[in-house]
This record gives sequence, structure tokens and C-alpha cells, in this order.
Amino acid sequence: MGKLEAKNIEKYFKHDGKQLKTLDGINLNVNDGEFVCIVGTSGCGKSTFLRTIAGLETPDSGKILLDGQPLSDTGPDRIMVFQEGALFPWLNVQDNVEYGLKVAGIPKEKRNEISHRYLDMMQLTQFATSYTYQLSTGMKQRVAIARALVMEPDVLLMDEPFAALDPQTRDLLLVEMQLIWQKTKKTIIFVTHNVAEAVVLGTRVLVFSHRPAKIKKEVEIDYQRPRLTDDENLLPYQKKILAELRPEVKK
Amino acid sequence: MKPNVLAKKIGFYALIIIAWQGIDSAEIWPDNIFPSPFEVVEDLAYGISDASLFFGIGTSLLRLIIGLGIAIAGGLVLGIFMARVETVNQTIGSLVLGLQSIPSIAWVPLAILWFGLTDTGIIFVTAIGAIFAVTINTYTGVKNINPSYIEAARNMGAKEGQLIITVLIPAAFPYIISGFKQGWAFAWRGVIGAELLFSFLGLGFLLNVGRQLNDVSQVIAIMIVIMGIGILTEGLVFKKIEDKVMTRWGLR
Repeated sequence: MGKLEAKNIEKYFKHDGKQLKTLDGINLNVNDGEFVCIVGTSGCGKSTFLRTIAGLETPDSGKILLDGQPLSDTGPDRIMVFQEGALFPWLNVQDNVEYGLKVAGIPKEKRNEISHRYLDMMQLTQFATSYTYQLSTGMKQRVAIARALVMEPDVLLMDEPFAALDPQTRDLLLVEMQLIWQKTKKTIIFVTHNVAEAVVLGTRVLVFSHRPAKIKKEVEIDYQRPRLTDDENLLPYQKKILAELRPEVKK
Repeated sequence: MKPNVLAKKIGFYALIIIAWQGIDSAEIWPDNIFPSPFEVVEDLAYGISDASLFFGIGTSLLRLIIGLGIAIAGGLVLGIFMARVETVNQTIGSLVLGLQSIPSIAWVPLAILWFGLTDTGIIFVTAIGAIFAVTINTYTGVKNINPSYIEAARNMGAKEGQLIITVLIPAAFPYIISGFKQGWAFAWRGVIGAELLFSFLGLGFLLNVGRQLNDVSQVIAIMIVIMGIGILTEGLVFKKIEDKVMTRWGLR
């Protein structure tokens, strides 16, 4: 039994009055502490699958299990980091990071203690009182990650969180993300369309086919960390995945 | 305000007063029809010296604050309700749009019949004139919230009640604040209009007294006070809040 299991997930969307199959019976077993990356073409359904795990979408059939328990709604045991961060502009960085703790009714002192730990981890301490309009895109994503980590979720779900970053900032965050994973031993499911990113981060990379999405190929990546995007030893993995993806782009 | 902007403004108002004085000096109309600026100032000074002006302003502002307070509270609740529950929007929503088209002054006869010539009647007219503007803006604001904000909050465990307080209202605030601004403008018109017709204390009442006494300079003096309060409220209250909100929400 894995930490998180997806069993035969099917999802349809209405499009021009027709039922369009988006997820085609996806089965996935993620072990505790795994870093699973899902790659696929834009609009292939990989984000929908992640959102289904988060409970933000309801599958038309199949179920999601966490520690063997079926899930129905969204919950703080599976925290999502959104592509554009979805930080609250009316709160400063610290209050954003503490949001989930606050709605959970955790007292202020305890909240501050927890948030300071993660602000420190994400190197955000000096920005604690800044507002989001004062932050760069990279900084915003750091805050979004810190906001997710304070919830200490069983599974961290990341939906193309680095897609809008410039390459230098992205490379930096890719290294940091690996260190965070090693430090916190979190189970992470990370969705991206960037193959190099997936290969650097994942212990396992899943290649999704284009609509309807199915797991087309699984690639285990057993290689030292922290990995860098320009590491030549990672190229064979990239090539293997790209070979699977290429026919999907043409679909 | 930048010094040259301030200079332009002072110059402009000085020009108006000079032109006004010029027309008065030409003696085209008699003084009881067209008073000089000096007479109006004299009337204001008299109102200040016997405190009747302050009493009038205080009465009107108190009614405004209570009426607007009710409108804001009611409008927020109604607007959020309309945005979150589709059935409410389809039913009450259409009624709100209809009611919004009724000028607040048109509520006066009903208010007099229901509440008599009382404070409650005037506050009723003020509140009902403003509530639908707040409602519609709140509704629009909540409808336009980035769905990720709501999803993120729900994902982090916010229940519907917490969601309203911690996400829906702040996220919709740029719209809500323009609802408050419109609401205030409607409420201010409503309170003065109602006071005129109720003829029961306040600035509107003073206007009416001026008319009854054939005192044109008092009428103009009170109108200037009404306008002045409008300018101050816009500039001191709403502009500051709006600037802050627009910057923080990244809309500027």
C-alpha cells in the first residue's frame, strides 16, 4: 500500500455539448517520501489529475486514497502550490504563510514560531512584512511554497510552480526544492511541461499521453542530489522522456 | 498635492469668486435674487457664530453615518449572498437591479407614511438609497475574484464562514470600496433630499428655511457647505483608501 493511491481515475469535461474524456483510468501509487513528477503536453490533463488528487475536482469514477482512506473533499493533508502562487495581496508575506494555521485556529505565538521556521527555510525572513506587489515572481513562489509547507501536509502538490520564472531563478529554486525535499522528507507530486525540470526533481517521472490522459511511461531516476539542469548524465533520461512526449505533441 | 496643482486650484476658485463679485457689482439682478460672495460668507459666519450651522452639519452627518452603515452592512451581506448562491441571484438579484433605479427621493412618501416625520424615516431613505449600489458592487467584486484564491483557501482548510471573512471580502475589496463610494454619494443626496421634504433638522432643513425666508444667500451658503463636505469626504476618506487598496492589490 502506498502513501497516496489513485485508482482508475476517470474524468469528463463538457465541451460543445459533448462529453470529452480528460482522464482515462489513471492508476498511480506514490510511496511515502517519493518525489513524483508528471510531464505532459499543455492541456493534456495533468493539472486536472493533480487537482483531482487535491479534491478541487471530483472524478467521474475511481477514487483517491491517502494512507488507504478514500478522500472526497479538499483538505490540508494535501496542499497545492498553484502556478501563479495564488498569494493573497491583502496580506503581507508572514500573514500569507500563516493563513492555513490561522483558519485552523492555532494561537498567534505558535503560528509565528512555525512561520518563522519556514520563512527562514525559504530565505524570506527579511520580506516577512512585504506585500506581494513588492515581490518578484520568484519570491512569490517561495512564499507560496512556504505557505504550503507550514501546513505540514502528507502530500505536497505542485502545479507548474516554476513555469513563469526566468531560467536563472528557476535553476536556483530547482536546487532549493531538492534540499527542501531532502530536509522535510515530504511526499511530492509535481506537475510540469518542462522535461529538464522533471528529470532534475523527480525520483520517478510519469509521462502523460495527450487527452485523454493516461500514464504512458514511467521513468525511474536514481541519481545523486542535488542535481543540476545542465548535468550531462541526466541527458539520457531527458531523451527517453522526450521520445515518449514527441508523438503526443502532434496529437 | 503638488504645489503647482494647488496653485492652479486656488487660482481657479479665486477666478470664480472674482467673476461672481463682478456680476453682482453689475447689478443686473436685485440682491435678494443674486447675492454677493460677501453676503454668503456673512451668512456662513452667522451660522458658525450661533452654532446652527454645526448643529445642521452634525445632524445630517449622523443620519448619513447611520444610514450608510446600515446600507454597507446590508449591501455586503446581500451582495455576497447573491454571488455565492445562484438562486438568490436569479430571484433577489433582478429585484435589486429594479430597486436600484428608484431615486432615493422617491422613497420619501413611503418613509413618511411608515415612520412619520422622524429621524428613522430620514435614515430609512438614506439607507435604501445607498444599499443597492453597495450590493451590486459587492456582487460584481465577489464574482470577479481569481478562483485560485478561493481554491487555495479551501485547500488550506477554510470553511465557508472563514472564506467570506478572510478571502471573499478582502479579495473583492477594490470593487467593494467603489460600492462604498457610490453608496456614500447616494446616501448624501438621499439625506439632504429627505431633510428638505421632511423639513426636520439638518442641512436640508436649513436649505428649506432659507427658501421660506426668501434668503438666497443662506440657500447658497448651505449648498456650498454640502459641496464642501462632499469634496472633503472624497478627498480625505475615499481617495486614501482607494490609493492604498489599488497599490496593495497590484492594480496600479
